[in-house]
Amino acid sequence: MAQYEKILLKNMEQPGYTGSLADYEQAGGYQALRKVLKDMQPDQVIEEVKKSGLRGRGGAGFPAGMKWGFIPKDHPGPKYLCCNADESEPGTFKDRQLMERDPHQMLEGMVITCFAIGAETAYVYIRGEFRLGARILEKAVQEANAAGYLGENVLGSGRTIKIHVHAGAGAYICGEETALLESLEGKRGMPRFKPPFPATHGLYQKPTVVNNVETMANIPHIINRGGEWFSGIGSPPKSCGTRVFCLSGHVKRPGNYEVPMGIPFREFIYDIGGGMRGDKPLKAFIPGGASAPFLTPDHLDVKMDFEAVAMAGSMLGSGGVTVMEEGTSMVWAALRLMEFFYHESCGKCTPCREGSSWLAQTLQRIWNKQGRQGDLQILEDLCRNIAGRTVCAFGEAEVGPIQSTLKYFRHEYEELIREAEATMPPSKEIPVFTH
Amino acid sequence: MATETTATDLVTLTIDGKTTSVPKGTLVIEAARQVGVMVPHFCYHPKLSPDANCRMCLVEIEKMPRLQTSCSTPVTEGMVVKSSSSAQAQDARKSVLDFILANHPLDCPVCDQGGRCDLQDFSHEYTATTSRFKELKRVFPKEYFSPLIETQMNRCVQCLRCVRYCDQVMDVKALAPVGRGTLTEIKAFGAHELDCEFCGGCIQICPVGAITSRLSMYEFRPWMLKRTDSVCGYCGDGCQITFQTKDNALIEINSTQGSGRNNGDLCARGYFGYHVSEHPDRLTSPLIRKGDEFQSVQWEEALEFVGQRLLEIKAKYGADAIGGLISGRCTNEDIYVFQKFMRGVVGTNRIDSSVRYGHLNGVHALQRVQGTHRWAVSFDDIVSADTLLLVGTNITETNPITGLKVKEAIKRRNAKLITIEALEPAIGSISNIVNLAQHHIGVKPTEYAAAILGLLKAVVEHNILDAELQAKSPAYFEDISARLHALSWESIRAQTGVDSVAFTQAAQVFGEGKKAVILVGPGVLRSEGGFGMTMNLMDLLLVTGKLTNPGCGMATMAEENNDQGAFEMGGTGAVLPGGASLGDPEARQKFSKAWGRSIPETPGSSLPQMIEDAQQGKLKALFVVGENPLSSLPPSSGIHGALEKMELLICQELFLTETAKQAHVVFPACSYAEKDGTFTNTEGHIQSVRKAIDMVGESRPDWEVFSALSVMMNDPMEYEDVKEIGKEIRNLLPGTRTLGPAPLPAQPIPSAIARYVTADYQRDIATRYQLPAHQLEPDQITLLVSQSLFHSGKFSKKAKGLLQVEASGKVYVHPEEAARRGIDEGDSVKVSNSLGEVILSVGLRERIPRGVAVFPEHFDEEIRRLLPYTIDPETQVPYCKLVPVRIEKSVGT
Amino acid sequence: MLLEKFKDEVTEILSRYPVKRSALLPLLNLAQREEGFVSEHAMRDIAKVLGLTPPQVFETVTFYTMFNLKPIGKFHLQVCKSLMCALVRSDEVVIWISKKLNITAGQTTPDNNFTLSVVECLGSCGTGPMMQVNDDYYEQLTEEKVGRVLDDLAKDGDCSLKSGPFMFPKPLVKS
Ligand SMILES: Cc1cc2nc3c(=O)[nH]c(=O)nc-3n(C[C@H](O)[C@H](O)[C@H](O)COP(=O)(O)O)c2cc1C
Ligand code: SF4
Ligand code: FES
Repeated sequence: MAQYEKILLKNMEQPGYTGSLADYEQAGGYQALRKVLKDMQPDQVIEEVKKSGLRGRGGAGFPAGMKWGFIPKDHPGPKYLCCNADESEPGTFKDRQLMERDPHQMLEGMVITCFAIGAETAYVYIRGEFRLGARILEKAVQEANAAGYLGENVLGSGRTIKIHVHAGAGAYICGEETALLESLEGKRGMPRFKPPFPATHGLYQKPTVVNNVETMANIPHIINRGGEWFSGIGSPPKSCGTRVFCLSGHVKRPGNYEVPMGIPFREFIYDIGGGMRGDKPLKAFIPGGASAPFLTPDHLDVKMDFEAVAMAGSMLGSGGVTVMEEGTSMVWAALRLMEFFYHESCGKCTPCREGSSWLAQTLQRIWNKQGRQGDLQILEDLCRNIAGRTVCAFGEAEVGPIQSTLKYFRHEYEELIREAEATMPPSKEIPVFTH
Repeated sequence: MATETTATDLVTLTIDGKTTSVPKGTLVIEAARQVGVMVPHFCYHPKLSPDANCRMCLVEIEKMPRLQTSCSTPVTEGMVVKSSSSAQAQDARKSVLDFILANHPLDCPVCDQGGRCDLQDFSHEYTATTSRFKELKRVFPKEYFSPLIETQMNRCVQCLRCVRYCDQVMDVKALAPVGRGTLTEIKAFGAHELDCEFCGGCIQICPVGAITSRLSMYEFRPWMLKRTDSVCGYCGDGCQITFQTKDNALIEINSTQGSGRNNGDLCARGYFGYHVSEHPDRLTSPLIRKGDEFQSVQWEEALEFVGQRLLEIKAKYGADAIGGLISGRCTNEDIYVFQKFMRGVVGTNRIDSSVRYGHLNGVHALQRVQGTHRWAVSFDDIVSADTLLLVGTNITETNPITGLKVKEAIKRRNAKLITIEALEPAIGSISNIVNLAQHHIGVKPTEYAAAILGLLKAVVEHNILDAELQAKSPAYFEDISARLHALSWESIRAQTGVDSVAFTQAAQVFGEGKKAVILVGPGVLRSEGGFGMTMNLMDLLLVTGKLTNPGCGMATMAEENNDQGAFEMGGTGAVLPGGASLGDPEARQKFSKAWGRSIPETPGSSLPQMIEDAQQGKLKALFVVGENPLSSLPPSSGIHGALEKMELLICQELFLTETAKQAHVVFPACSYAEKDGTFTNTEGHIQSVRKAIDMVGESRPDWEVFSALSVMMNDPMEYEDVKEIGKEIRNLLPGTRTLGPAPLPAQPIPSAIARYVTADYQRDIATRYQLPAHQLEPDQITLLVSQSLFHSGKFSKKAKGLLQVEASGKVYVHPEEAARRGIDEGDSVKVSNSLGEVILSVGLRERIPRGVAVFPEHFDEEIRRLLPYTIDPETQVPYCKLVPVRIEKSVGT
Repeated sequence: MLLEKFKDEVTEILSRYPVKRSALLPLLNLAQREEGFVSEHAMRDIAKVLGLTPPQVFETVTFYTMFNLKPIGKFHLQVCKSLMCALVRSDEVVIWISKKLNITAGQTTPDNNFTLSVVECLGSCGTGPMMQVNDDYYEQLTEEKVGRVLDDLAKDGDCSLKSGPFMFPKPLVKS
């Protein structure tokens, strides 16, 4: 099995590493911050990150350096950084580990980002359920404050940078960056329509960068070792660096694995994940969290990078790989995900709000063997009428599982409907008038 | 005034093949409306910031990857938009309707919105009659929402227009979208019923039938209703309303976005207070007193009797033994004919009207300093002001729609707000204007005079002065400065509780304003020294050089719907129609010529003067039209004794009021819902009142009665109809030709200002620039009797809707003030002073300053006894709203 | 007043934000931690501190699933039912708990000790099936493990099987 150099998980895999400030410093922590404050201008930091080719690890994969570059330089008032630690995408559990095991790594990334974009205040928006993570982060912030890495006059630079940990309270949608901002403002977490984008009208309508935990964790390494070094890792030019992929489902060794982008799914699932549990054949897998359309064994040789997965009709998303073995009903799987989306739709947009309930109910019916002729057409139409017509990307996300299972496993739906028809009395259509 | 748009501010775009140019920043949906393309929508509303949640307004825009919501997309140069010409957009809209209808109950046959429902209309336009939705619809259990407003959440399309309106426009924030996803419903707090301003805005703005009025629930189908556009008869804001009637019954009131100065907004009084006209207690025939009883008589008999008696009294005691009092609720035409009748037929200038109760202070101050009796600003200037100063307005409760203009200026246009109000910045169930203030100077209602002087002192000390005017009239500036310097900050702080820093900050903000408007309300106009305070505020505008700047000026708030009209129609004895002084020979000549009758030489007397004269036996008859002085004035005014002495008391009324009960003859009048005419609102806008229902019983419009009496008195003053009166007024008063969309504000007259700053100011400067002393004994509290949002005068107490919200009066105090006395909400207390004592129930309100108790004037039958009465030496405005009292828990409860 | 008791904490929370309303979720979390649910009292108090109307607090509370508007049991068992956990049989966890405590989802045991809820993804997909009990995660559940957790909680109010700082898979300890 190939061995890959670890970047983000390296420290924490050292025996005895606790993630304390002392441990982090001993492993070379906060050197990048020193370097930035001593030798670099904000623009240079942004340049370096642009050069690295680092793309966001939260789902959309937007180039981080470019996002920072959108922050207006001459803006007179405050600017903000929000670290997205909402990690609620089913199948994803990497940020939790990055926070609980090596909190200073992401904090250092945040301080550097604040410096680069000119923010004095940063918030970590952590999902409410991660109580342990929040406590660990709060403690780490205290340590960093005490050690002068944070607070007023960071390392004698005259810069003030404050980080606050802000816990959510149970809403998947608050991971969407504008919903996150609304939630952070103490409101219902309803996404805002864009434009304007957070870069100009973010938190409190001030210029704001929202970045994922893993994105932040990469920053110190990019500064320490150079953007060029980073851009040589993985699958350049579009998918640079490693990613912490989360493996779940019917595999022998689920867990978080950091590998360079670009290795094939086959290697990830079979070599790194140890293959299928019970050695049953693989039936389908989700390559990038619950929002990513399903792929099939035919796609095992697709490379785990942004472009290749997109070409295959899905997305790398948040990096959550979920594997399903032969014998798993794809209708059931789609239904479970649809129930999730129904539960989590914020309710703002008509198509998403009503569509998610309609889709979930229809799937439930099909799964309960009460499907009807025409149901599949309805499902397809609903999906088509939701995607692309909503404020946020949730709309696309919720239809992915259904569209892809309909595409690859349509017969399973049809079978359930056939079974239903065999057991149900034929329903009489009431004649209707149309114009 | 809107700033002119230059060509560079314009953007040219094409919508469905039609090219148009619109100002930069216009939303595509608005641009489309301008070229006649109606983009269907639910969540968009021009009053609200876009939320783009319903996804109905999708359009195709060239060079944009996917369909865009036209409600949230601003136009750009060269944009090519396809709305109905885009198959993709049409398809998307159809699907949005499909989605909405999935969870919509389709109970149109029992829905009050049926027939005027956006969802129905769009469904008709876009969808087939079938839905493929065969699943379970969400069902919300029915819950009691509130006494006036009902929700049917199954019908809700979750556009959140109601919630956004309640927040963005009203600043009330009483509605909460509760839950998430399809199961979101609009609720009040927890399981509590809605407690809010009851403006009805949520009902009006709901595009479907999810929020409806309980007052008219299930009583009608919209297409059965007859619409009559008219004007609200409650406060001086003068909102345009539409009466919706069915078979001569008032079913509901609406207002239309885009029409009227209120632009579709209303308050509780306007929206829910319309049942007065149909109240069963309405007088239906003339009454003549026979002994202790009233007897119903025919009009002829009553008219003949009154005409006869008036002639007799005139013959016996002279015309000046007869006085008249008319309400500022009557139409301009009524008031005009009344004063013409009194002056021309009866032969007296003893005329007064409810404008005397306070609005007159503002009118006279404007007249004296700027030479016009109208504002030099309009509602539009309030909205576009950059700085607003509110003094004693309690604007939400007295003039709620002017309040909305202020809120719009602050919330949507970032104007700065300075408030001098007897309000604490606390959040309650109705909006509190001082919460929006950058600088709030909170004072007790007795201390406005001191606070105004504080502000002026800060202006002078920090030289926030108009150098030009100062150079021209140094004496005026010096006199004012000297008097202000003579006041110490300590004494101002001792009175107001506010220090010089706060005044200075406020003064600086005010000074920086390029478009600064001062709004003055009853706290100033109706309390002791009201005229002086108003004058001092005029001085503030003058010395800071703002009075003559466009967009700047003073706006005095009228409490009654036609107070301004009452003044302008000659409803105060010393002033002829059009605002000219009775002594003005030119004006006298003009009117005597036009009327063919001479105008009496006697001075005009005010209501307080008439009371005094009655007591002294100089006034023998009083003709009271729509007024109820027995309930408007406290017993300390002597009104009881005065009326008892009347040899003839005539009341023309809707109801048998306290005053009418004392009358010798009562004429049944008809309400504003039953007649035509005009009202002039507080900003001087004349608007048409139209008859919506038939006259109740034998009731008649006021002017007809005066006209008939003139015939009885052998001096006929006949009019064919109300239009003829209107024509006469317009011919005589050029300023009344403003019937139209918006009034042009009057311009300050330079010669008037010059006169004022050279000599006239000296007349009363000594008294105005003095700190009035208000001493309270240690256990006393200042009682303020004032207007509530849910009532207007005593009139609205006949409105069943409003009574559901507020049915009785309570003394409201701050919770701490109550706690100090061991009192709790609902307790009975004894309120007392040297004039007497009354037992009342207590309510707690955090917005009321400590040391103050507030009682709604509409329920003041008892508490009136405690009120003292003073008269303004300049304007004869009677003051009777403030008094020190003791409040203690009443024993035995 | 609840917030008076935590005056310092409230002041500290307020100091984090330039706009008061941002402190809403933290204060609600505080209130729920204290009372076990968000009471009407608490909502009114918080509204006052933040300059909001009670409906504004209420609308926010009801958007977030973690806030309980009614009292619940001392231990809130929340079992994840989302796909990833379901693939590794989280539905059985619910059955095990139901069997042992004799309650179904949404119910509370008569002694008010346990409330069972079935919830969506808690971010522990590789270590499913799992449940959250109050602040703590319990992962890779088996029937036996669930039994022990419930017993320990009932007995001691705590259980040592809860997850510590997360690392999965566990790093190989170098020998
Ligand atoms: C419905 C939805 C949920 C999301 N949830 C998360 C999340 O839990 N964590 C996250 O980092 N990003 C999430 N995102 C992506 C964010 O919107 C945003 O793209 C990301 O935080 C940007 O950070 P990055 O550029 O570092 O990835 C979500 C997006 C959507 C549309
Ligand atoms: S797409 Fe769904 S989740 Fe996103 S804003 Fe619209 S309703 Fe909310
Ligand atoms: S009107 Fe544009 S989305 Fe509702």
